[in-house]
Amino acid sequence: MTDWSPIGESFSISDRASSSAQLERAYRRLVLCYPRSFRRENTEEIIAVLLATARADQRRPSLAEVADLLRGAARMRLGLSSCPRTVLHAVRLMYLGALVEVVTLVTLLLSVGSIRAATRAAALRGVAPHATHAVTQQVLAKVASTVSVVILVDVVVTSVAIAGWLVLAWANGKGSPLARVGAIIACAFYTATTIQGLTLGDEAYAPAAPLAASITVMAIGIAAVVLLVAKQSWPYYASHATAT
Amino acid sequence: MQEATFLILTALADGSQHGYGIINEVSDISQGRVRLRAGTLYTALDRLKADRLIDMDREEIVDNRLRRYYRITPEGGQRLAAEAARLQANARAALQRLNPALGVI
Repeated sequence: MTDWSPIGESFSISDRASSSAQLERAYRRLVLCYPRSFRRENTEEIIAVLLATARADQRRPSLAEVADLLRGAARMRLGLSSCPRTVLHAVRLMYLGALVEVVTLVTLLLSVGSIRAATRAAALRGVAPHATHAVTQQVLAKVASTVSVVILVDVVVTSVAIAGWLVLAWANGKGSPLARVGAIIACAFYTATTIQGLTLGDEAYAPAAPLAASITVMAIGIAAVVLLVAKQSWPYYASHATAT
Repeated sequence: MQEATFLILTALADGSQHGYGIINEVSDISQGRVRLRAGTLYTALDRLKADRLIDMDREEIVDNRLRRYYRITPEGGQRLAAEAARLQANARAALQRLNPALGVI
């Protein structure tokens, strides 16, 4: 800076003031991504920190700052920053449960063709060797429609399960006492049906993959529920029960 | 305990600090290696408040800007002490094993 005249200096000061006001506005827009409860308490404070850590000539938030604020806002919106560690791990397990269900669903959809082929082959073996063409066709059509119904039911059930996991994860992260009760009931129901299926030798469990998936999901559910009812989780739900 | 959490509690161990103060202290303690960003800091503070390891201390207005001070709770002090002891024990074991075998130290 070679221009030391009073006019030049006043220009640079007002320049700096306007760039800092511009920067502050940009930070405020980013902070809008945070949940209302956080903004009510912490907006002025976080803006002060952002401005204090900004470079002297900075005009807009850096990419790293934007990413950092958006990540922080996302974690808070999911309720993952203010819940105790036990609830945090339980919520993560529930998202994992949803992921396992998604993998199950995708596997099911990808193997529709081979399931159809296998049941068709099994049905053909069951048909009497001297059966007429018409009878064979009739049996095959019946088997095919049964398989379609079974697959459709499976797809619907798995989709509902994915949605259930996601809703329970989200609501438990928020500390909803109702969501905790919901998680316990869902887990108990799932465990009961899985164990019943196992003891009855349910034909749905004949292939190894769905069996492994069911047991994995059941274990994830039980672990999540244990964390949700752990001693450290209670104050979080209690504080939300009185707030609502 | 994550390193950022450990460093924040350490920054508050000998007295209350406001947000920007914590960032500077953490940078000093880690010898400039860890520069906390505002989003990360406030996510961590939210967590620590929920776990009752820190508390709000007081507020000040400096240059028209809000400064909110945080302090460590007795429970936070205990957790930090336990974690520090664990890290120290691990570090001592590592140094002991390195020393005769490799002549590193």
